[in-house]
Amino acid sequence: MSDDIDMMTPDEQLAMDFALGGLDRAARRAADARLRSDPAFRALVEGWQGMLSPLDDATPAVAPPADVWSAIAVEIAPVRAAAPAKPAAASWWNSLALWRGLAFAGTAAAVIAIAQIGPAPVAPGAPPQMLVASLAGSDGKPLLAAAYDPLRGAVVLTPATQRDDGDKSPELWVIEGNKPPRSLGVIDIHGPNAHVISAQRLQGLSAGAVLAISIEPLGGSPTGQPTGPVVATGKLSAV
Amino acid sequence: MTALPRTASAGAAELAAMLARAADGDQAAFREFYDRTSAKLFGIILRILVERGEAEDVLQEVYVTVWRKAAEFDPARASPVTWASTIARNRAIDRFRARGSRPTAPIEAASDVADAAPTADVLIDTGRDAARVHAALTALEPRHAAAIRSCYFEGLTYEALAERENIPVGTLKSWVRRGLMRMKAGLTPAGGVA
Repeated sequence: MSDDIDMMTPDEQLAMDFALGGLDRAARRAADARLRSDPAFRALVEGWQGMLSPLDDATPAVAPPADVWSAIAVEIAPVRAAAPAKPAAASWWNSLALWRGLAFAGTAAAVIAIAQIGPAPVAPGAPPQMLVASLAGSDGKPLLAAAYDPLRGAVVLTPATQRDDGDKSPELWVIEGNKPPRSLGVIDIHGPNAHVISAQRLQGLSAGAVLAISIEPLGGSPTGQPTGPVVATGKLSAV
Repeated sequence: MTALPRTASAGAAELAAMLARAADGDQAAFREFYDRTSAKLFGIILRILVERGEAEDVLQEVYVTVWRKAAEFDPARASPVTWASTIARNRAIDRFRARGSRPTAPIEAASDVADAAPTADVLIDTGRDAARVHAALTALEPRHAAAIRSCYFEGLTYEALAERENIPVGTLKSWVRRGLMRMKAGLTPAGGVA
């Protein structure tokens, strides 16, 4: 039995330590980045989490006060009902107009090839259109290429450069017309990966919509709207 | 007791269905999911953060995250409660790490609290597993079990816990890792760990 821990790989140890919660801030951050980009590592962590989570039954349940739900309800309310009244959204929107100008000034949308699209069931009617965007910072420097593949229901992200966002999470947003930004979720921009997004969020995604990336607290914006600096924007065009 | 696992998994299926509807934008289903799980998640967060206002902030963040990530929930990989509880624990620990430290009780106090038997109202979908995992933990050498409890329930770092217990951090890590491997070995035949 005493040999067990000597036989563990570093990844197995890290997964165990992360799931238990004993890592310090820097190590957690590193492990969290691995989780997002490495399915094998994530499976190890999930194994430990699944084993340990029944322990939570020993923690006394505590009913939260009612205003917690009220605050959640505001954040998840449909955009058209909640947004016009929110000054925060309005001011964010104003600054968005600014980035659009910045982002489109010198950036042509890069067309990127996606080789591994398998034969997918094609729905009757018009074939779904592949959309691409090059997301660039205000200096015009491309940060990453994004391609929306409607057949896979995924946005494929290909970073053009490395970023170190420390203990922050980059979050992807889509802005359609005058509507407030909609989150497409926290993304990993350390390596190429397919980012699967729920069908509901992708509804109506079309050429002309703007993708933006903001830097949010670890795990994503706490408010459902961008709260951190916007590092890149780009417009979707049809391939 | 024999009826518990069946009831429990029916509960998990219901919660998974609520998440699926939430992923399609059904707020009423999400409200039901919140009503069924929020006391458990708040308990987990409160245990790590202690400070109530901060715990409420984190609970709010957690459910907004659950709403936004509902489509990513995969019943083949975790139960709905495990999935949501993991988000809550991770978010609470991140907040705790960002904050620095808090006054903590010695290791004996952690084991006192954690040894309280799980009550029926919080056994949402893990009834039988909980008994098995608690048994596996109780079977460990007491120091190993106490170290695991302190990390898991209080969100302490190995370094902070080693300092509090006045033992080398390497010793503590070895206690924790040996203890967890032993628990895993005891639980795996029934498919506890993938």
